[in-house]
Order: sequence, then C-alpha cells, then structure tokens
Amino acid sequence: MPSSSYDLAEKAIEEGEKLGAQYIEARYVNSLMNTSILKNGVPELGAITRSNGIGIRVLKDGGVGFASFNEMTKEEMSIAVAFATKMAEATGKRRSKKIVFSDEKIHEVKFEALGESGKRPFEVDPEDKINRLMGVDKLLAELKTNAVIPFRFFQMLDETEKKYIITNEGAKIESEIDRLQLFGIIVAVNPTTGSKEQIMIQKGKTGGLESLDYWKIEDFVTKEVTKLSKIVTEAKDAPTGVIDYVVGPNVIGIMCHENTGHPTEGDRILGREGAQAGESYLKEDMIGQQIGSEHVTIIDDPTLEGSYGYYLYDDEGVKAGPRYLHNKGIFEEMLHNRESAAWMGTNSTAAARAIGFNREPIPRMANTYLAPGTFEYEELFEDIKLGVFMNNFTEWNIDDRRYQSKYVGLEAYLIENGEIKHMVRRPVIETTTPKLWGSVDAVAKEKYLEFDAATCGKGDPMQGAPVYHGGSFMRIRNVEVR
Amino acid sequence: MIMVNKIDIKNILDLTANKLNSLEFDDFAITANRGNRSQLRFADSQITIAKNWASLELGVFAAKDSKTVAMEIQDLSENSIISALESLEKLAKSLPPNQNYFGISDGPFSYPTIEYLADTDFVEFHDQSIDQVEGAINAADAEGAKRSAGVLAWEVKEEHLLSSKGASVSENSTSYEFSIRSFIDETSSGADVEVGRLFSKVDFERAGTRAGEIAKMAIGGTNGDPGKYNLLLEPRVAADVVAATPGAANPFMVDIGMSWLKDKIGEPIGPELVSVYDDALLPNGLGSKSFDDEGHPTGRNVIVEKGILKGFIHNTSTAKKAGTTSTGNAGLVLPQNSNVFFEPGEHTFEELLELTKGKPTLYITNNWYTRFTSYADGIFSSIPRDGMFIIENGEISKPVRELRISDTMGNVFKNVIALGKEIKQIKSWEVNVPTFIPHVLIEDINISAATK
Repeated sequence: MPSSSYDLAEKAIEEGEKLGAQYIEARYVNSLMNTSILKNGVPELGAITRSNGIGIRVLKDGGVGFASFNEMTKEEMSIAVAFATKMAEATGKRRSKKIVFSDEKIHEVKFEALGESGKRPFEVDPEDKINRLMGVDKLLAELKTNAVIPFRFFQMLDETEKKYIITNEGAKIESEIDRLQLFGIIVAVNPTTGSKEQIMIQKGKTGGLESLDYWKIEDFVTKEVTKLSKIVTEAKDAPTGVIDYVVGPNVIGIMCHENTGHPTEGDRILGREGAQAGESYLKEDMIGQQIGSEHVTIIDDPTLEGSYGYYLYDDEGVKAGPRYLHNKGIFEEMLHNRESAAWMGTNSTAAARAIGFNREPIPRMANTYLAPGTFEYEELFEDIKLGVFMNNFTEWNIDDRRYQSKYVGLEAYLIENGEIKHMVRRPVIETTTPKLWGSVDAVAKEKYLEFDAATCGKGDPMQGAPVYHGGSFMRIRNVEVR
Repeated sequence: MIMVNKIDIKNILDLTANKLNSLEFDDFAITANRGNRSQLRFADSQITIAKNWASLELGVFAAKDSKTVAMEIQDLSENSIISALESLEKLAKSLPPNQNYFGISDGPFSYPTIEYLADTDFVEFHDQSIDQVEGAINAADAEGAKRSAGVLAWEVKEEHLLSSKGASVSENSTSYEFSIRSFIDETSSGADVEVGRLFSKVDFERAGTRAGEIAKMAIGGTNGDPGKYNLLLEPRVAADVVAATPGAANPFMVDIGMSWLKDKIGEPIGPELVSVYDDALLPNGLGSKSFDDEGHPTGRNVIVEKGILKGFIHNTSTAKKAGTTSTGNAGLVLPQNSNVFFEPGEHTFEELLELTKGKPTLYITNNWYTRFTSYADGIFSSIPRDGMFIIENGEISKPVRELRISDTMGNVFKNVIALGKEIKQIKSWEVNVPTFIPHVLIEDINISAATK
C-alpha cells in the first residue's frame, strides 16, 4: 500500500516538527525477496521474505533518536516519532559536544535500476529460477576432474526494493532497485591425500535474472571449480623470502575494500564504530598525506550502472558521485554521511546507507576499485625474477584499524624469470596497508577491469550492504613472505 | 499516553494456519514474534544515538509433497499474508522434492520450564538506561580511559508457535546486551561485555572497569614476534575460537563442507577435561527457549563429553537422516545452537597464570575477524584486538601488538590444557551464539605477524 505508507511517512514529518525536531527523516522501505537454497543438488528450501516498514530519525538538542515500526498504523507512527524525538532530546542534553548534520543541497527526485523486461525478479517463474540453479549444480556434479567434489552449496537471492525518503528540509527521494545475488561454496578434495580446498563464489548485480547471462554463470562456475580441482591436485608449495606479486581483480578488490574503503569511513575515523567494526589508522589531519605509490588511485563510485552497490542519492537524500579515496597515492576523500561530515566541517560525500527500514544510515562503501593504469597484462610479469601471481583469494582478515592485513591466495602461480609457471598453494601476503600500497609499481589497463560482489558488514545491529569491489591487475614489489 | 490497537497475534496465527490448510500443505510450523528492542550507542564517551524497534514478524515453514518452503514477512495486513501464502504455494509447486526432508516434530508435546527468561523489572530499566551507560563510562574513566565506545541494547519479546502437528506454545522473554571498549591512546584499549536476561543482575560498571584496566595494562605495547605460543584466552576469545568446534557439530554445516567434524562422532577431539553441551534450559541464558522452530521441546544435549565428540544438534529431518532423534534445535533452515555451555574447570585465573610457567605464553583479551582458508579442515586465522600480553614466570609481563592466531580449529580444541572455574556468558559482535565459557589455556598454537 505505497500511498498509505507514503502518507504515514509524511505525517511523521509533521508530528516530528510539532514535537520540536530540528531534523526529521522518515524512510519507508518495501522489500520483496525470494531465495532458493540448493545443497549438493537437493533443493533444501525455497523462501519468500517480505519486509515493509518505516524508520524515523530525529536530530534534536544535539542528540539523535531513531525508531522503526512495521505495524503500519498512525498510532505506531506516533509512538515512533515520540520516542525518537524524546530520546534525541534526552541524550542530546547530556552531550558536551552536540551532534549536528552538514548542510546539503535538497533534492526531490526519483531513480530506479530495474531488471530487463520479463527478467525482473517477480516476473520470472520460481520454477525457472530453481531449474537454472540446479543446472549450474548439475554441471559440477558431472564435472570430470582429478579431484572429488563432495560439497556443493548454492543460494540465489533476488530482491525488489522500493524506498521513499522524506525529510522536514524538503528532500523527497523515491527509488526502486532490483538486485540478484548468487552465493556458493564448493569444496574439492584430493582423492589420494585427502587434502581439501574451498572456493566461495559471490556474484551480485543490480538488475534481474538477466544477470546470470551477464555473468555467463554456467561457464564461470565450471571454470572456477575446474581450477579448484587443479589447485588441490597439482599446486606446489609457494616460495618464501622477499618476492614480487602480481594480483588479479578479485584480490585488488578486497584490498581496496579492506585497506582503503573501511579506513576512509568518516564515522570510523571519529571513533563511532569503536566497539564494533573498529576505528582507523587514518586520521582527519592525514588528508593530503601520501599513503601509497603514485600508481594507487582508489575510487568509490555508487553511480556505476548495473553495480551491486548502485544508488544515485544516498539515504539522507544527498546526490552521489565518485569519491577519490586515494588519488595517486594521496589520501584525498572520506566516506561521509551528514553527521561525520559536520564533525569535520565538510560536506557529505553521499555515503549514508541504511540496509532496511529498521536501520540508521551510516557511512558505507558502494563500489570501490583501483583505477586502471597504463600497463598491458604481460608487461606486469616481464622483469619478475621470482614471484607469485595471485589471481583470487580465499582466507583474509585485517585488524580493526585497517593497518595489518592478510590475504591467502587460492588460484595462484609461480612467476619465474618473467614467465607464469605451475600453480602454487596458499601463498600469503601478510603486511601493513602503507607497505602494501607503497609497493605497487604497475597497474594494468582499463580493458582488464573487473568487479566482484560482496556483502559488507558494519554497524550494530549489523547492516550487510551490497557492494562491488575490483580492479585490473597490479604488481607489488618486494613482499616479504615467511 | 497513546493507546495502541495492536494486531492480534492469535488472529494472525489462525488466519495463516487456515490458509495453509486450504492450500493443502502437509506440514507447517508458524511463528509470530512481537518485540520491542531499544539501544543506546555511545562513542567518545557520549551517547551517539538512541534507537527503538517495534516489530512484529510472521514466519512460516511448510512442506507439500516433500517440497520445502519458508516465508518471513513483516507486512502483516490480511491481504498481504494471504497473498504471500499463495505465492508460497506457487513456489512449493515449482520445486522438486527435498530428499533430505523427513517431516516436522509430531506431538503431543510437553515443554520444559526455564528459570529467569523474563524479568518484570524490564519497564523500569528504560528510565535507568542512560545512567547505566554513563556509569560504565565513568568506571572506565576511573581506570584512566580517555574515551569509550559501546552499545547497550535491551529487549522484551513474545514468541508464539503453531504447528500442523499439534504444537501451540508461547513464551515471553527479556534480555540485555552491553559492550564497552575503552581507549587510553589509539592502540591501548580494552573491552568487556555483560549480557543476560535479569536486570537485577546488571553490573555495567564492572565491564567499564575491566575495559579501562585492560586498556591501562596495554600502554606501551610493542610488536610481538611470530612463533609457537601457549595461549591464555579471556572467555570472550574462547567463545569464538574454542567454542567454534562444538559450534561446528551441525549436520547441515557438515553436509556443505563448512565443518571440520565430518565422521568424527565417537572420536576424541579434545582432552578429557573438556565437556560441552548445547543447553537451551540455562537460567539467564540468552539462547534459552522451551521450543524450537518446529515446536519440538528443547533440552540439554551433550556435544563433547570428556573430549569425545558425542553428537550433533538436530532438527527432525537431520536426525532421521542420521538415525537419531531431534535435539530440539530446529531453525527455519538449519539446526541452530541455543546456548553453548562449557563445563567449568578447577582453576582460578591466578592458577592458570601459574600453569603457563616454562612456556612462552600470550594472554589474549579480545579478538575479531576469524576467517577460514578451509572450513572442512578448520584452517583459520583470527586477529587479537585490545590488550594482549606476554606472560613470563606466571605473571603478565608486557603488552604486545600486531599478531594473528593462525592455526586449525582442531588444534585449538585438542590442545586445551586447563579451564578456569568461573564461567561467563558471552554474546558479542563476533560471537552470535550465547556461549558460557571460562578462561581457557591452550598449548602450542601458531602465531603469525605482518611483515613490514
């Protein structure tokens, strides 16, 4: 019932103003999700998720209150507005440093990113969805390799999300976005040694079921699992010592996300996520400092068409565009919402995202990538005497200041005298962020640029945000491997 | 005072059941949960936001001709429910049969009584909440903290279940979760959590004091050296990396290659001193509940007895496939732990320190970001966070930083050499399953470090 829900959101603004809210926003979100789960070829579950509700956020007396409800009555709305306003006031009064929001241009717009006609999530018959997924799985069940594939798990999720954001400042943003996500975990076992290797597949995109064709999902999954089988049966020990690395789009993407995207989030830098996702090794006064080499330009751009993290206006109604987090190695921009921007006396970079009507908008990444360079792929390898080509990764983690990170390679090869040789098993890059970005001396051209999808976790309660990350290929010099 | 016309939950349950029957589903379990959850978040020692969630959610698991479907909706008008159920039936028709499905639990049922699920003092807690948070921040400050961040969340919830096999049950509960992380400088920090159901037992100041103490001890830390260490783990670290192994005793996770316990039932996986239960009946346990998502009564189930893996948690289908009976751990999709409970050991913290003599030992107070190279082999790494210390001659001697636990979950569990006698309940940003666990001492674990 969008019209009555919209009315309820609009009435909430009126009530908040009557109660003295300096700022009030109402965000109505309606989400229709369908999920198919396949376990070793067996359809374990088909699921429907319908989410519908309104989130209210109020700024008053230097404090912020938030309340959400999904029993869509005027009474519930009034309680939510009253709570958010009262608690903003109660907590604001106790603050010595009052919260304010940055001033931003007000927009009244609609935007959408829909699947192709006939391919939108609710247009495709559930039977067609499960059959497509079972077809992918069957290819793996029948795949002839030297390894055994005992474990296969797939989950496909499609979603249509409608959102209506209204504020007492006059912002009015209406949007509708379709998304498709495919997650898989597959394990290959060496039949002789019993050694195992896993791959996690995550694809995501704005759009409908046509995304499966865009990904050429059958070919993609088959190729990845064929390589997985080779890794577990053929890969040799990875070299140690001080060596060079060439890493692929999948590895660059996670590095951009973890080593740069997270530490440039304004709220982390201010300590607002201190007890959960952590803080940042970057500080406000480090803007303008050289973090990496001149080859390192890292952009986060929500407006990339078809991307998994796509939006044109953020959840505070601010118009989005590319953010240059690092530009030629220099720390240039942060990911800000209006609160973190105001603390630093600057403007929002339209990074406010709330995952669901019942979550607050906080600074998030959208689509983070390393800007392509000038090198041909082959040129990256030419003068490497001893190195590793890590095309994708398996395990990774990073400390909560985003300073020391670890990436374990999955598909990886020895590089010797400029040539790619045999596969190597589980090579590790365990180094600091400045060392990592400072050691990049070459990045491949735009024609090699690729993106992967991920769900980024942050906030309390947790908000899993759809994001893209990617790059082309890059060379990292003199990495010490123990 | 605003009077609210709440949606009647009994009407929703009946409407849903009638529709599922008319759509000729063979089995179904319907849950309707209404909750009111509040939260205060704080950072830089001041409250950053106050939140409240009023929620009503309807969940359905249903099967028709062994085709299994589920639904979770927060759009609860009569039309929306009917429309969603019709979509569910269409979805069921489109699926092939689930060969792993063997029905849901059949009645009659007798449910256990659990102590301390709900606290009647809940309403008063709202008014104390800001003072409670500020009390904890002040306690950390008293230890020297310069700033603290964290969260206090509290909730009142009513849960209802109706199944096609005769289950009709309701339960009310309350809960709170408090976490605090205090900083003296950018890299000298400490953290603690306090969670439970009874507000009379709340002592957030204790958590603030502890966070401040650890932060103070962490001042002046230097980068540690990689190598083999014995590890003395705070309960919140043990609840992640030691409790991961009983947490992997889940047939669904075994089936998809995300457990390192395949074919291990009956085998020794740990030392004799370790016994672990999944216990849904623990007083004050955040995972305590008298019925699972099929309406099956919950209970106390042994997972590890004196180091031997005795069994997995089950729903009706996984149990039948394994030739056993349900343990009352059904979730909507896969078996879910209730509370993981470790039998306590016999040592005080000081005695555990004494036991470390002669071996290089790290005392780890917090961790995060546990990730796996191979779930099936349990190969993982995890990053210590906040105060971490070298123990020498039975005493905490100096703070260290920038190290990573890099080993296997099998080794971590197998190499436990001593347990503390005081148990703490942990649920945190990193630990989803409420876990009752003491300090744990483990030997010979690999520690790695970033290169410069």
